[in-house]
Amino acid sequence: MIRVTRRTLLGTIKLVPLVALGGFSWGQGTRREPIRIGCTLPLTGPFADTGVWVQRGYEFWAEDVNARGGLLGRPVEMRILDDASSVERATSLLERLITVDKVDLILGGYPGTSAAAQMLVAERYRKIYISMGGHMASFSRGFKYSFGAPPLMGEWWYNGVWKWLATIRPADRPKRAAAITLNNAIGQAVRQNMLEGLKSLGIPLVMDELYTLPLPSAEPLVQKAKAAGAELFIANGFFGDGVQTVRAMKALDYNPKLFLQGVGSLIPEWVKELGSDGNYVVSGTAIHHRLPNRGMARLVRAAKQRFGFDEPPQYFLFGYAWAQALESAVEGSKSLRDDDLVAYLRSSTIETVAGKLRFDEKGLPEPYEYATQVINGKVELIWPLSARTATPVYPKPSWK
Amino acid sequence: MEPLLQAVLSGLLVGSVLALLSAGFGLVWGATGTINISHTAFSVAAAYLAYWLTSVGPWGFFLALIAAPLLAFALGVLTYRSIVRPAAVKVRDLGLVTLVSTLGIGVALENSLAAVWGPGPRVLSLAVAAEAISVFDVSLPVGTLLAASFAWLGLVALWFFLYRTYTGKAVRAVWQDPVGATLCGIDRDRVTDIAFGAATATAALAGVSMALIYAFSPAAYIEWLIWAFLIVIVGGVGSLLGTFIAGLLVGVVSTTVGLWVPFSWLPAILFAFLIGVVLWRPTGLFRI
Repeated sequence: MIRVTRRTLLGTIKLVPLVALGGFSWGQGTRREPIRIGCTLPLTGPFADTGVWVQRGYEFWAEDVNARGGLLGRPVEMRILDDASSVERATSLLERLITVDKVDLILGGYPGTSAAAQMLVAERYRKIYISMGGHMASFSRGFKYSFGAPPLMGEWWYNGVWKWLATIRPADRPKRAAAITLNNAIGQAVRQNMLEGLKSLGIPLVMDELYTLPLPSAEPLVQKAKAAGAELFIANGFFGDGVQTVRAMKALDYNPKLFLQGVGSLIPEWVKELGSDGNYVVSGTAIHHRLPNRGMARLVRAAKQRFGFDEPPQYFLFGYAWAQALESAVEGSKSLRDDDLVAYLRSSTIETVAGKLRFDEKGLPEPYEYATQVINGKVELIWPLSARTATPVYPKPSWK
Repeated sequence: MEPLLQAVLSGLLVGSVLALLSAGFGLVWGATGTINISHTAFSVAAAYLAYWLTSVGPWGFFLALIAAPLLAFALGVLTYRSIVRPAAVKVRDLGLVTLVSTLGIGVALENSLAAVWGPGPRVLSLAVAAEAISVFDVSLPVGTLLAASFAWLGLVALWFFLYRTYTGKAVRAVWQDPVGATLCGIDRDRVTDIAFGAATATAALAGVSMALIYAFSPAAYIEWLIWAFLIVIVGGVGSLLGTFIAGLLVGVVSTTVGLWVPFSWLPAILFAFLIGVVLWRPTGLFRI
């Protein structure tokens, strides 16, 4: 028979809270509370077509990182809210994620207008914010917590195109240029780059028109460019206005030597919906699925299995790269404190599918210099030479 | 001379399509007091129907031309009976309530289209529409010509309905004097049902026509609605003739403005014109 003395009873009672506490902390350790990462994206509204690809990029990264054991050994949980393509909703929802939902980390939104507005929110709450940004204007405000990894910079957009054109004999280059530009933040930023590029090559700009959406007809603009004898036609716009421009060029049988189209030609619908009419369009890019960067080939293979496309959309790669940059900061600093992550990114070179990135005081990496051309229904890299995937088709063949 | 002719003809063609897009919007606003925000969402839905049927075969596009308005008529009547009118009878501020309820319908339609087709943009590719014909050194895309032809057909059909049929005359009577029309024995509920259905049918025909000119996505209805608002306010709420002329005006101004001033002035010119019309004739240019 076991005798329970007063001393053993008291001793047991004293042990109970210790065991309970020990058990609790042991349970916490094995449960591994997830790291919650919040962001807003336009999953409905005018920018939803691109927003969903950023979302897929983020979620694909989260699955990827969780399969590799998580961040700092903890699983990652994404909390993505739909801002309905509204800048106001994007900022208020991000504020809610930070103050009410108290997420551990945040990630960038889309498009540039929302990202630029969210950069202010991130700065106010001292949260590291990795995104495409809102072009140079947004990175020139002295923010400490914002990084473009990579950024979408209109001011760098055609850098690769100008470099490539410089390799063409002056006699064969376009003699004069005409431009139409969507009058918004991205259009103006790209136009800035266009003006500098044309000046550096000595190509006179004989027509420089701005327009707003909705564009009732692109024909008068195209007609004017044709009448001006422009051999280089630059349409700094999105998809819908880009389609109108192509249709007007074809209807008016306008055949410039070179046709540059801003950002519309990089989404998969350009090739899919326009068919052969979408060929030979030249543009810039910030990221491309055939860049020889570490992890890109594996990502493309895995994404192909998941989504079934041959060429992952640019914004899928963007989303993945931004999340990867955040991962590098967390794993590199071994911390979730935003100031630690900022300090790490300011002092280190990180590697993502967008390449090796080292940030300056604005939170920007070195300017990129990629040029693309749609050839046989594929967005090929034509510059730099080291990453070229196809020989450029120049001059552009006439419309069939 | 050639650029001016090119611009004017382009403007007339595009303006005709915009007029059809706006005609039903103005009709419903005039006859029922409903500011139907979902009007152009039905147009976008019809554009998707045409896109889908065209992908099955070239005949699919022409099937869409007939099927979309018929389907839209039925959906319009159903929507008005089940959502708009029940909401409207409970309040005094008809404009605000119908604005909110139809915005809800528009958002629901947008999301339904996005769920089925995805949020990405689409381009209707009809082989013949990709060609262009030349008249007096002026090139006109066949797609735009076809779109304008369908728009004229739609506008003539709407005119015939409003001016040559008993029900159409009843719609105009309700628009001009709702109380007087009721006292004359006109069944207002039936008339407003039909007006909403007919307007939705024209929206659908306009959507199929717009798809021949513009790329579209589920969210495109907001952009298209801007045109409808502008044209209806300038032309006169409920006036078919006014809507037609305002549509042509907006089209021609949009395509010719770049010949004389920077193209970026277009929105300022159009909205200055709108403000001028509102100040000069608050009911729009026409009232017939």
